[in-house]
Amino acid sequence: MIVGKQKPIEEIWHMVRDFKRVLVFGCNTCVAVCHAGGGKEAETIASLLKIRASQEGLDMEIDHSSVMRHCEPEYLTPVIDGLRRYDLVLSTACGVGVNFLSERIGNIPVYPGINTSFYGAVPEAGLFVELCAGCGNCILHLTGGICPIARCSKTLMNGPCGGTNRGKCEVSDDIDCAWYLIVERMKQLGTLDRLTEIQPPRDWSTARDGGPRRVSVEHIRAYEEAQTAKEGGKA
Amino acid sequence: MQCATTAIFHTYHPYGAEIKETRPYSPCRAACPAHTDVQAYVGLIAQGRYNEAFEVITAVNPIASVCSYICHHPCEQACRRCSIDEPLAVRHLKRFAIERSLQYRHAKRRHIQKTRGKSIGIVGSGPAGLAAARDLASIGYDITIYEKHPVLGGMLAAAIPPYRLPREALKEDLDDILALGIEVKTNFKVGEEVTLDELKARHDAVLVAVGLSLSRSLNIPGVEGEGVLLAIPFLEDIAFGKGPKVGNNVLVIGGGNVAMDVARSARRLGVPRVSMVCLESAEEMPAWKWEVDEAVEEGITINHRWGPKAVRRDNERVLGLEVTKVLSVFDKEGRFNPTFDHNITNFIEADTIIITIGQMCDNNVFKGSSVKIDERGRVVWSQATHMSSTPGIFLAGEVVTGPGSAIAAVANGHRAALAVHLYLQGENVEGLLPSFEREKISDMPDTVKERVARHSRIKIRHLDPETRCKTFEHFEFSYSEEDALKEAGRCRGCGGGAVVDSNKCMACLTCQRVCPYDAPKVEAYSVIRPEYCQACGLCAPECPAQAISMVSYDVRQFREGMKALIGSLDPNRHEPVIVAFMCTHHIGVGGFNLPENFRIAPVHCISRVDILDILKAFECGADGVAVVGCTTESCKFKGVHERVEARVKRIQELLSMLSIDRDRVALLRASSGNGNPYSKVCGGFAETIRNKRSYKP
Repeated sequence: MIVGKQKPIEEIWHMVRDFKRVLVFGCNTCVAVCHAGGGKEAETIASLLKIRASQEGLDMEIDHSSVMRHCEPEYLTPVIDGLRRYDLVLSTACGVGVNFLSERIGNIPVYPGINTSFYGAVPEAGLFVELCAGCGNCILHLTGGICPIARCSKTLMNGPCGGTNRGKCEVSDDIDCAWYLIVERMKQLGTLDRLTEIQPPRDWSTARDGGPRRVSVEHIRAYEEAQTAKEGGKA
Repeated sequence: MQCATTAIFHTYHPYGAEIKETRPYSPCRAACPAHTDVQAYVGLIAQGRYNEAFEVITAVNPIASVCSYICHHPCEQACRRCSIDEPLAVRHLKRFAIERSLQYRHAKRRHIQKTRGKSIGIVGSGPAGLAAARDLASIGYDITIYEKHPVLGGMLAAAIPPYRLPREALKEDLDDILALGIEVKTNFKVGEEVTLDELKARHDAVLVAVGLSLSRSLNIPGVEGEGVLLAIPFLEDIAFGKGPKVGNNVLVIGGGNVAMDVARSARRLGVPRVSMVCLESAEEMPAWKWEVDEAVEEGITINHRWGPKAVRRDNERVLGLEVTKVLSVFDKEGRFNPTFDHNITNFIEADTIIITIGQMCDNNVFKGSSVKIDERGRVVWSQATHMSSTPGIFLAGEVVTGPGSAIAAVANGHRAALAVHLYLQGENVEGLLPSFEREKISDMPDTVKERVARHSRIKIRHLDPETRCKTFEHFEFSYSEEDALKEAGRCRGCGGGAVVDSNKCMACLTCQRVCPYDAPKVEAYSVIRPEYCQACGLCAPECPAQAISMVSYDVRQFREGMKALIGSLDPNRHEPVIVAFMCTHHIGVGGFNLPENFRIAPVHCISRVDILDILKAFECGADGVAVVGCTTESCKFKGVHERVEARVKRIQELLSMLSIDRDRVALLRASSGNGNPYSKVCGGFAETIRNKRSYKP
């Protein structure tokens, strides 16, 4: 799940204060789960902005609404015309949603209301932790199911480093040393000997370093493209 | 077609009513033959909203005052508190709400225009006839009631002794109904003065709701002659002040509720010895347990498991009743089929015997008409259409259902009224009438029961037995306001809880994590199990997708109405305007009694107050917001304090981002009781706010 965190209201205020009609637009999937940008939070931000506007004596129209997801046209299309009556849409979706909406809305700016943080799990209510970095080449089978790319501060493939300190990372006592966890886990699984194998340098082209990525599910794409061609032929 | 009755006859539409009708009923509401929304009116009483409670009660019950005295309250028997401590005292609460709304009630009586251009004759003015009369008059039919007694009310007026039902109560109900503009013909005996067919010729439809007004007698030796009376004529004499003649030792035959009325009335006539004899054991007796208990308190003795064999007489004078031992009353299938051991006999001395073994219809009403009667003397009718064998002549109430309760007759009267209405609209009634059964929420799981706080039922005071059996005066006191509020607060609000909109829910598990009763079950989306839900409301404001609403007392109405609640503000005001979300669980006598600058938003529990509600108050210009709840010890829900405290901290953080002082929002705690705890805690808060400058530049 994508995890995000609301931007400070002052930062948001500086983004929106010069616009007359503002819509705070929530996204009711990932960022709702992490209490950052669902319908409820969109309404909260809208309410705070209204109070802020009245504090500054500004006459603004600030509304709120939400959809299930910003990142798929089926959800956006039915509401997008309604969004166009605003001067600004403050999207509380993740960055994906902001991009996606921005490309489709036309002549209206879409600004972010939250900072998109990471893909995470929810070990306890209200706590979200990063467990995967989306590197595009999964090696969890080699590391006891604990990802050194996402969870080692140095993304080391052959750890731990000298900065490990009683199970914690030298970066912060709040961060577990991923390689300490990997060693303990592999001991438990009886596969510790596999760690003697040195991992070669990684090919990062599957990650961000290879440029923007896309995944195409071939059989679905082939069908869709054939349909489009047929319809085009008819026209 | 349930909605048909709802659409025509229900006049009260509280917030969230639509959603409520689509949900399983609370057990109390499902058990009430008229499906009175018990939980709704008890909740309104708990908030001090007595007039609205009256509206809920009378939406389906035209004889609400009567029922507040004599109803056998199946709602209480069904109450889920029965399995925790004691059921809610619903009938006493009903009486309280009705007593408190009398002025409102009088003021709202209205004449209804007869816009339909059709007339209906209703024969009989008991609960069924009155219910039908009100329903049909309310939607513009011209109604005439024909009653054989000199007064309206059927058995309510003619048989129920006044110590159980003060006639002023019946009068209030009748006045409500007659105010609609209904013609009444009393002392009018249909079947003698006019046949049903002739009556049908005068009207577009006729509804016969004559009840069971004749007593059954016994076919045993010695029953004929002086000293042996039948129940109904005996009770009629009492009802109409004729003072029936009885001796000094009265024996009542029968074990039902009418037998109790007869025996207890005999005591009140000054009879020193009153005893009863019935076939059933104490457990099997059909009379309500409380009736039996009260009768025993009044010195009435009961001889169980004896069957009447003969009335022994010395010449004409009654000496007593010879009885035979009863072996069993019901057969294996549970049908009434008594067996006797004729070798074991007994003799019960008495100088007067009153037979109360059941009632039957006075079939004189059908005399000379085309309405068919079967070989056993019962009128032929269709349950699906309420129609007799003669088109346009309908039947309702105990004449067709057999003996039952007043409220069951009311329910049947409603159904018959709908049948008549549909018939007069030219509809084929078959298949259009609602069935009585409604889906209800099931028993409370043990894991939930354990978490529900115990609170004893507030007892009602009675006149002591010595005093009360000397008079026909009513013997039951009503609740004080303090007691009523306390008792109403015991309601668990079954079925009034949280509902998830599956189109909005993304199964985030928040509700499951928040609920203290494990009510939500999250799979593809969250389902809040109504049998678990205690309707506290803790989950709804926590839902990040705003997918949860509350069936009863949803607080969104405050958000929508906040501007109106706060009103227009004077920029130079000296007194701060404070919005107070106040838990109504401890509203206390006389309401919250706070100064004018407090804008009160009463809530079922502060657990329902959303961060957005508080923000809305500031948006609308409030100087401060107080969230006022019970003390942790007195709160009837679990985990409210900690959760709301966290919410208040969050809102304080949000406000501080806008340079608004954190202490403009406070969580205050109070419990009703001596003095005025609310004005004390709220007064302190107001003082804090008064000392601040406006947060607006």
